Amino acid sequence: MAKKYDAIIVGGGHNGLVCAAYLARAGRKVLVLERRHVLGGAAATEELYPGFKFSVFSYVVSLFRPHIIRELNLAGHGLEIIPLEASLLPLPDGDSLCRWADPNLTRREIARFSAKDAESYSEFGLAMKKMSFFIKQLIDSPAPDPFSRRPRELLKLLRMGNLMRSVGSDLMYLHTKLLTMSATDFLDMWFESETLKSPMSVSGIIGTFLGVRSPGTAYVLLHHYMGEIDGAYRAWGFSKGGTGQLSRAIASAARRFGAEIRTRTPVEKFLVKRGRCRGVVLEGGEEVRAKQVFSSLDPRRTFLGMVGEKHFDGDFVHSIKRYKLRGSSGKVNLAVDRCPEFTCRPGAGPHLRGDIAIAPSFDYLEKAYDQAKYGDFSERPYLNVVIPSLVDSTVAPPGKHVVSIFVQYAPYHIKEGASFWPKRREAFGDAVVDTLAEYCPTLKESILYRQVLTPLDMEEQLGLTEGNIFQGELSLEQLMFLRPAPGWSRYKTPINNLWMCGSGAHPGGGVMGAPGELAAKTFLGTVGR
Amino acid sequence: MSVQKRNEYDVIVIGAGHNGLTAAALLAKGGRKVVVLEKREFTGGLGACEEFHSGYRTAGVLHDTTGVRHRLINTLDLKRYGFELEKKPPAIFVPQKKGKGLLLHDDPAAAAGEIAAFSKKDVERYWEYRRFIHRVRGVITELLDNVPLDITRIEKRADLWALFKKSRGMRKLARRDAVELLRIGPMSVADWLDDWFETDLLKALLAGPAIHGAFMGPRSPGSAINLLLWECRKGPSIKGGAGFLVTALEGAARDAGVEIRTSAEVSRVVVSGGRVEGALLGKNEHISAPVVAASCHPKQTFLELLAGEMTTEKFERRITHFRSQGTTAKVDLALDARIEMAGRPGERVEFVRTGENLDQLEKAFDAVKYGRCSETPVLDIYMPAFSNPGFAPKGHSVLSILVHYAPYELRSKWSDQERRKLGERVVDTLCEYAPSLRDAVVSCRVQSPVDLEERYRLAGGHIYHGEHALDQLLIRPVPECVGYGSPVPGLFICGSGSHPGGGITCAPGALAAGAILENS
Repeated sequence: MAKKYDAIIVGGGHNGLVCAAYLARAGRKVLVLERRHVLGGAAATEELYPGFKFSVFSYVVSLFRPHIIRELNLAGHGLEIIPLEASLLPLPDGDSLCRWADPNLTRREIARFSAKDAESYSEFGLAMKKMSFFIKQLIDSPAPDPFSRRPRELLKLLRMGNLMRSVGSDLMYLHTKLLTMSATDFLDMWFESETLKSPMSVSGIIGTFLGVRSPGTAYVLLHHYMGEIDGAYRAWGFSKGGTGQLSRAIASAARRFGAEIRTRTPVEKFLVKRGRCRGVVLEGGEEVRAKQVFSSLDPRRTFLGMVGEKHFDGDFVHSIKRYKLRGSSGKVNLAVDRCPEFTCRPGAGPHLRGDIAIAPSFDYLEKAYDQAKYGDFSERPYLNVVIPSLVDSTVAPPGKHVVSIFVQYAPYHIKEGASFWPKRREAFGDAVVDTLAEYCPTLKESILYRQVLTPLDMEEQLGLTEGNIFQGELSLEQLMFLRPAPGWSRYKTPINNLWMCGSGAHPGGGVMGAPGELAAKTFLGTVGR
Repeated sequence: MSVQKRNEYDVIVIGAGHNGLTAAALLAKGGRKVVVLEKREFTGGLGACEEFHSGYRTAGVLHDTTGVRHRLINTLDLKRYGFELEKKPPAIFVPQKKGKGLLLHDDPAAAAGEIAAFSKKDVERYWEYRRFIHRVRGVITELLDNVPLDITRIEKRADLWALFKKSRGMRKLARRDAVELLRIGPMSVADWLDDWFETDLLKALLAGPAIHGAFMGPRSPGSAINLLLWECRKGPSIKGGAGFLVTALEGAARDAGVEIRTSAEVSRVVVSGGRVEGALLGKNEHISAPVVAASCHPKQTFLELLAGEMTTEKFERRITHFRSQGTTAKVDLALDARIEMAGRPGERVEFVRTGENLDQLEKAFDAVKYGRCSETPVLDIYMPAFSNPGFAPKGHSVLSILVHYAPYELRSKWSDQERRKLGERVVDTLCEYAPSLRDAVVSCRVQSPVDLEERYRLAGGHIYHGEHALDQLLIRPVPECVGYGSPVPGLFICGSGSHPGGGITCAPGALAAGAILENS
């Protein structure tokens, strides 16, 4: 039974699967071990209620690296992405702002609130696009190490320097601002209407324990402009059949290349002897040996949970302990018997075939954050709602719909202590539904089924420490060569033959697939070590 | 235009605050004929010690004098003019409602006993903390004490080389420290201090400089850098406060040949033939000089005094977006007695910060985001009477208090009533720690950010001429002015709105003077 593998990948989320697929494609004998019954980790789809398929956690696809789709031929394995058509912001006064895929329509909409902003909007988009080009270079390669003296690293830095030279002064100025400013301050530089700025600002806070006015949040705005489908910028989409379909496609590709994938196979710990990882021990005691082990679990679970403090020096343990993983978001999934009807725009028109943001003003968002800072969930939270069943008939019975609601803030550390979350779960769910019902009065009576997920649930179900959806906050001090710990951003770890391949490694979280890909390629030697 | 001979100079310096005077003195020493034009009837700007109530003088709007650059003290030989530093950096006291509070000495050996009352572990950590500051101090002050690089203009290979050279200091550090510096840059001070210490009171005390004057709370990313910068430039404070610095700078300037004119408000920077030609005082007095160095706020300089001449729309937009919304009010208390802090009878306490834990500081900050004053403000207090009896009649004293947070854009609008309310809140907060205070108050002067704007021409009322946020520290105030110049030949900036920022350091004035001597 002690079959020896070239590599074991612990965790069958999208990053683990991408890593497995690349390794298998290179002819390695690969085994993926997934604790749950379903693959995909946070990118999974489950039929929680008969006939309704929920993208339980992650609900849109955009940042997934297009070259991975090509290289693994994911389209051939059943991946199909349906672009979002609109982005709707209902307002408390019954008005609304809808930004469409069509720029002309969007301009007309924005002009209702500010003619000046309507003009600046496309200029803004252009600048962001140019900047995201720069950021992409960073995302698609391992992080350069500014302190290394090796010629190869210095060359890399020089290349980055040359890139900076080519960007030009105006963009460098914007870059500096973008990396350090708050989302609100950055948007204030461009626009005057808060109705426009407010829903734009929220992309800066998703998954972070920060408010829209916190410095450092502007950078994440770029993510919204990095989304690309088939190379087309600024496009977000649903994966047909749910986000889980993406994971299934990767798994199918990996299997085609010869990878073996086992679900319902929890790993208890990594087998580490004399500073070398030799395999894993499954729950129940079975040992599975491999030449390499790739962990797609978060850094804290990997190093302190699966390996154990005693195998590392004090400095490393210290940096992993202080690595910030504070979860801040929750999720509410609804099965409803009719399409939600918004007071601001009645009917199931194209305005609902995208995302709907409850983010009426900066103050509203900031107040939601203030509550979280002191250990409460937001009574009136920021919501990001999608109704994928409007464009994908495979996920709900005819005439019925699934409603996916991303919620912020739901801090992992509530003041009663995280273990108290189960007692507050339904109150949290009520706050979310009440908030949405203010814009969508028939919502409550249409609910057939409701699932409320707190950060504690995410920790327990997915193994994400403190329920952090990005396996570690995407704040500057935890990015690039500092992720997950200074000196260990190249997927290697202080334990020989143990690798990191999840969102806790460069370039971080979001359904990108990049950490999995870069980890595999770094090991294979096909990108610069 | 008829120009009188006596009104011709090499350099006009606008504003006689500590930066303006510094620049003027250094320029004159460099052989330039310099005139300083000050709007107010006396010199000193934010460091001026004017009488605010008959017989009582303020210690200045800014009262932290630990950052004055030492090189300057020697260059201008300020000690000749009665300027004197204390022997060591000041101890800072944070009081408690229940308890003796914490008096923190800079020297970890002296601080050990006080910290040990709260945590034995933190005694050791404080040693570590001081050692860390000591190790990185050289690299940081090297950046602060030199003309910065325009990081947006990395165009030629030579620029890349210059950037590499700038970062060489970092490479001299141990890798661990260098990485730590990069990590601290974007962090919140709460996160950083949580890494170090477990005592709430100690963390609240240390967090002060990270948030004072800022539109930030301890949990705002980017606040940690302000603490680091403050710690790295901290030295002994000036005996008797900022007033002695102003007097000394003025003396040094006059001795070097500088002419200082007070009650002389510049209304225009005059441009002609594509460069600066002088300045207009009031309606029609023209003073000519090929160089104007403005120590006032960049918005004042470029949007009002220059009034759009020779600048582009892009430049103006950048200046407009330089963030300088004040969050600090200034309260001066005249007292008919000397005040002691409860729990510390008879002890010499000169600098006091209130706020017993980080959450209290953060909650005080929350209010300002919504245009309100903090219910329980965070106070940064200087009690100068101990070392400078000249502030008040014998036996009496004054308190200089910077109040955080009070928004420039108060939603209920600043009025006498709002000012009074703020003054009362400050006294109430303070009385919790010094009960004898209430009966001793003779007079209470409150300056809101709007008053500061009006009185000191601070656009937005920001005491540092602009937010100390990472982007505005790296590029201050805008790329076009990073080397103290501007798009208008002959027009320079030399105030807190330029590198390395606000506070009583005199560094912007000194660096600008160097740049002007080199480039004009």
